[in-house]
Amino acid sequence: MRRRNSKPAAIALGLASLLCAANAGATEAPIPHGTIEIIAQNESIEPGRDFNLGLHFQLEKGWHIYWANPGDSGEPPRVEWNIPTGVTAEEIEWPTPHRLGTSAIVDYGYEDAVTLIVPMRTETILAAQQTAQIGAQVKVLVCREMCIPGKAEVSLTLPIKSQTAAPDSKTAALFAAARKSLPQHAPKNWKFSVDDTISSFVLTGNLGHQTTRAIFFPLNESQIDNAAPQDFAPTAAGFRLTLRKSEQLLKPIARLKGVLRLSDDRAYWIEVPVSKPGAGQSNSGANVRPKHLLEEGKTT
Amino acid sequence: MKRSILYPIMIALILCLAPLLIAAAKVGEAAPDFTATASNGQTVKLSANLGKYVVLEWHNNGCPYVGKQYNSGNMQRLQKQWTARGVVWLTILSSAPGKQGYVTASEENDYVAKMHAAPTAALLDPTGEIGHLYDAKTSPQMVVINPQGIVIYDGAIDDKPTTDLNDVPGATNYVNLALEQAMAGKKVETPATRPYGCSVKYAN
Repeated sequence: MRRRNSKPAAIALGLASLLCAANAGATEAPIPHGTIEIIAQNESIEPGRDFNLGLHFQLEKGWHIYWANPGDSGEPPRVEWNIPTGVTAEEIEWPTPHRLGTSAIVDYGYEDAVTLIVPMRTETILAAQQTAQIGAQVKVLVCREMCIPGKAEVSLTLPIKSQTAAPDSKTAALFAAARKSLPQHAPKNWKFSVDDTISSFVLTGNLGHQTTRAIFFPLNESQIDNAAPQDFAPTAAGFRLTLRKSEQLLKPIARLKGVLRLSDDRAYWIEVPVSKPGAGQSNSGANVRPKHLLEEGKTT
Repeated sequence: MKRSILYPIMIALILCLAPLLIAAAKVGEAAPDFTATASNGQTVKLSANLGKYVVLEWHNNGCPYVGKQYNSGNMQRLQKQWTARGVVWLTILSSAPGKQGYVTASEENDYVAKMHAAPTAALLDPTGEIGHLYDAKTSPQMVVINPQGIVIYDGAIDDKPTTDLNDVPGATNYVNLALEQAMAGKKVETPATRPYGCSVKYAN
C-alpha cells in the first residue's frame, strides 16, 4: 500500500479544477502507443439519477489492451476513481472481446479503439454542489509484439443541475457504438448445458435456430485452454462446442461463465451449470449480469 | 507371414509416437527431459539433476513483468535463497531471434552480471523447443520439479499479476510455497496457477 501526502494532492486538484474550469471539458492523456479520454454521456449530472461515463482508448494500429479475463498473458485496465462524495462508480461494462495472439498463446482484448462504459450512481446530497470534478487514474497494459505498462490521469468537470440531464451530442456516437459492442443477455428460451468430460467441457446450445459459428470467451481464468481450437459442431437447433480444459484447472467447477459470440457477430452473456461427469442432464442457461460474474470470478 | 512383419512395425511406430503424445509438461507427471546450451557454454541436461529440486524460470529481459521481479531484486533473492539450499535454478530464454528478449550468450552473461542474478544456469532456447515442451505461455512463468523428476508446480511467480514494483512485498510467492511445502514433506497446496506476464516470444 502506498501512502499519499494529501497536501500536494489537494493543491494539484485545486490547480486542476481551475485549469479544467477554463475549458470545462474532458482531457485526453497519452498512454503507450495511444491515448485515453474520459467522456460523459450527458452534459450534466442530475443528483439522485445514475449516469454513464466512458473510458475511450485510441490505440495505434496493431496495439491492443485486454478484456476482464486477459487470457494467456496480459492484464485488464484498472481504474482508481477520484470522485465527489455522493458519486459511486460501478464495474466496467466490458464489450465483447476478440481472440488475439498466436496458435500457442491466445489473449482476449481489443485492438485499435474501445470505449469502456462505467455506470455511475449518484445521491441527492450532490445538489449542494455546482460542479463535479471527476478524475480517474488508469493503469493499462498496451501490447503488440511487446507490452508496455502505462499510467494515465484523466479528468472531467460536469455541471450539477436539478433538471433532467441532456445527452451530449459530441459523445453520442461513441456511446452508441460502445453500447452496441456489449454482450446482451441470452434470450430466455435459449437452453444451454455443459457436460464435463475428462479433458473438455462440451457446451451445447439450443437456440431454436441454426448457427454457423460459436466462440466462447471464458470470464474466469484457468478454466479452459485459451489457445486450444474450440471444436464447433452445428446442430439442427444450435451448436455444440468442445472446450479443452485448462491445465491449471485441478478442481471441478460448478458453472461455466462467459461471453458467447455467434455467426451473426452478436454476443451474449451466459452462465451455465456444469453437469457432473456422466450425469448428462440438461440445464437452461441463466441470464446474468456481468458484474455478478466478476465478483464471483475473483479467484486466487 | 505378412502379419508377422506388420506387427513389429506397428509396435515400433506406436513406441515412436508415444513420447510425442505425452510430451507436454503437466503437474503431477514426469518433467519432460531436455538438453540445452547455457550462456556460459556448458551443456545442461535436466535429467542429470534427478535427486535435486529444479526451478525453471521463463525469462525475457524486455518484459515489464520480468522487470518488476528483477528491478525489485526479488528474482535474484529467490535465486540466491534457493540455490543456497541445493536447488538447481534454470533461467530459460525462449525468445526467437529478432524478437523481444532474444539475447546472445554474451549478452545474457552481461545481463546476469549487471543484475546480480544468480541462477545455476541461463539456458538459450531460441528455437522455443523447451518452451513448447513445457507449454510455457508467459515470462516469468515458473515450474518446480521435485527430486523424483515430477512437476510439482507450474504457473505464475506470485499472486499479483501486475507490473507494479510496489506489489512485490505483499505478494504470496507460489515458488516459495511449493518448495517449502514439498521440502517439509507436505502436499503442494497450489500446484497450478495462471502464469501471468508477457507472452513468450516464440518464432511463430
